[in-house]
Amino acid sequence: MTHRKKPWILGVYLAALLAGCAQKQNSSQLTIWHWMSDREDTLQELAGRYETATGIPVRFELFAPSEAYSQKVKAAAQTNTLPDVFGVLGEKRDLASFILSGHVANIAEEINDQEGAWRKLLFEKPLLMNEFDAGNGYGVPVGTYGVPLDVMNIQFLYNKDLFRQAGLDPNKPPVTWRDFLAANAKLKEKGIQGLVSGWGEIWLIECLASNFAWNIMGQDKILATLKGKVLYTDSDWVRVLKLFQEMRDQGALAEGVVTMINKRAEQIFANGQAAFAMNGSWCVNVYHGMNPSLDYGVMLPPRVSNTYPQVIWGGAGSNFMVNAKSVRKEQAAAFLKWLTAKEQQVYLATQTRNLPSNREALVDLPPILAEFVNDMDRTVHPSLMPLAEFPLVTEAMTKGIQSILIGEKTPEELAAQVQAVKDRELEKQMAQR
Amino acid sequence: MYSVTQYRAKRFGLKLVMQLFCAGVAATCLFPLFWMAASSLKTQETVFSDFSLLPSNPQWLNYVNAWTKGGFGVYFLNSIFYSTVVVVGIVLISSLAAYAFARLRFPGRQFFFILFLATMMIPIPGAFIALYVLLNKLGLINTHWGYILPQINGGLALSIFLLKTFFEKLPKDLEDSARIDGCTKWGIYWHLAMPLAKPAIAVVVIFNVLAVWNEYLLAMLVLTDKELMPLQRGLMVFQGAHITQYPLLMAGMTISVIPIVVVYLLMQRYIIEGITAGAIKG
Repeated sequence: MTHRKKPWILGVYLAALLAGCAQKQNSSQLTIWHWMSDREDTLQELAGRYETATGIPVRFELFAPSEAYSQKVKAAAQTNTLPDVFGVLGEKRDLASFILSGHVANIAEEINDQEGAWRKLLFEKPLLMNEFDAGNGYGVPVGTYGVPLDVMNIQFLYNKDLFRQAGLDPNKPPVTWRDFLAANAKLKEKGIQGLVSGWGEIWLIECLASNFAWNIMGQDKILATLKGKVLYTDSDWVRVLKLFQEMRDQGALAEGVVTMINKRAEQIFANGQAAFAMNGSWCVNVYHGMNPSLDYGVMLPPRVSNTYPQVIWGGAGSNFMVNAKSVRKEQAAAFLKWLTAKEQQVYLATQTRNLPSNREALVDLPPILAEFVNDMDRTVHPSLMPLAEFPLVTEAMTKGIQSILIGEKTPEELAAQVQAVKDRELEKQMAQR
Repeated sequence: MYSVTQYRAKRFGLKLVMQLFCAGVAATCLFPLFWMAASSLKTQETVFSDFSLLPSNPQWLNYVNAWTKGGFGVYFLNSIFYSTVVVVGIVLISSLAAYAFARLRFPGRQFFFILFLATMMIPIPGAFIALYVLLNKLGLINTHWGYILPQINGGLALSIFLLKTFFEKLPKDLEDSARIDGCTKWGIYWHLAMPLAKPAIAVVVIFNVLAVWNEYLLAMLVLTDKELMPLQRGLMVFQGAHITQYPLLMAGMTISVIPIVVVYLLMQRYIIEGITAGAIKG
């Protein structure tokens, strides 16, 4: 008999174990979801400091990778179970849909309080990525819907040791397009690979093409293209595409760059296997981890034209939003204000080697990060444009550039193809109206 | 016309080619494991510059760091618990269902079986949001059950398919004899069919242990408490959006692979028997 009872005893034990597993949350505790696994320890430390200072416990909950995090946030939004603070990954239209569904609190009042004291501390453009002004195309009420935890921009990096090996001056990186190609020719003579970047992730191609376009034709002409008033077959756009063809023809690109993911590109540059890289400011931490003795510098993408200023992509590295349905939203906003204050931002920047979102926290930065900071005012981002290109057009452009890089298409052919996609999208838009 | 020597030489040659081919396949399977183990003993700086499989300065501390930084103590026990409960659940439910599909006659038998098979076409990630909504309504978010039940559900279709095929091949005469001896339907299932199905059950166990042990996305969706998370969550700590701590990640992966290898070695005999006995024949 005793033998027969055993499974039931086990069953009762399991049921008791499983029943007592629901989370009991402290009512004053702030819960924050994030995906930044490489900043976990730093964020936990800051949570402890905040509790010590205010008595309010903060719980950072990590969900990585970012794809899994995005799924979790979307699912939680559908069931109104979002935490007090969270981040929305994706484009501005994704943030807009969360706002329109009532999940993101407008913190404009807090950020503009005391004559905008909080606002003035932060870099302007990354903050703008979380703001919607009157008449925005998304139908979002005017307001501020998030704050950046850190900022970033994307530039070129060059390896000073490889420059020396090729007889180039390591303190004079190429400035113009001609300089860049000439430097590549010298590097090639010494068997050194040129530019490496994760162009398998096509957004990096879009980034460089956009840099060239801003430099060649300026904002007004780009906006006119977005409106459909300038064609992609215009000579300036063809010139943008020809720059990629030139890089291919001159052998200025590292092997396999077209299909390379950025993590691989980072390994190649960090190990001194390519002279140039195109990467975001987060790379400082990455390269430090892979090769602390890497001697490299930061440079703007080569200037193609003197007509318009050079720009680089940049903005917020990561943003935090307050849950509009949280009963602790005031406390959540207060925590974000504390998190973006100078002391915490200095700590974050020091520990994670990322650019702080607080301008006053730009102290004791590693020299290489300081070089990135110097160009923050040059940053642009598609999210900050009053108009957005049709996703299919952007896709046709970036994938088409990959085709140019492998010699499948000419710039003229691609320009015509992109314009055809644009025409179709415009027609669809007209039909919908 | 071949002489015996020529015949033997040809046979030897063929055998050699076959052996070389098999050795090549084995090497391609084993190399990633060796690379993982070797990388786990390197530093972040040398992992992509030192390509030797036996590092000159092995960093054994990586294992200690992976265990402590990744919080493996809790996660390891959690994974053992989840794997046990899920696999026991799957074996119990799927064997009952498979036996019913194989031996009992009831209306809609074929229809329901195909319906079960159809669920194999829907991967869990494809139903994440719907699943989250359902679990939330049932109050199962961030609970053990919320993580266990979907996995039992997800593992049923393949297991039922494997076991049904096996049960169908059992000689009916055996069951008739048991029935004559006064055995009930339950008795036949429990005392006759289940012991005979050990090889097929071994296949079901190993497939599902592997799936549960390596599961991560569902855990991310359903669980929020670190204390409830499985082992794979510990590995994610080393894999950031920008930074991956490869040596610690590889050390963690090596640790996480060990139990699976042990389970496989323990059940190896049954698995091979199960496969050769037709457990996975269509």
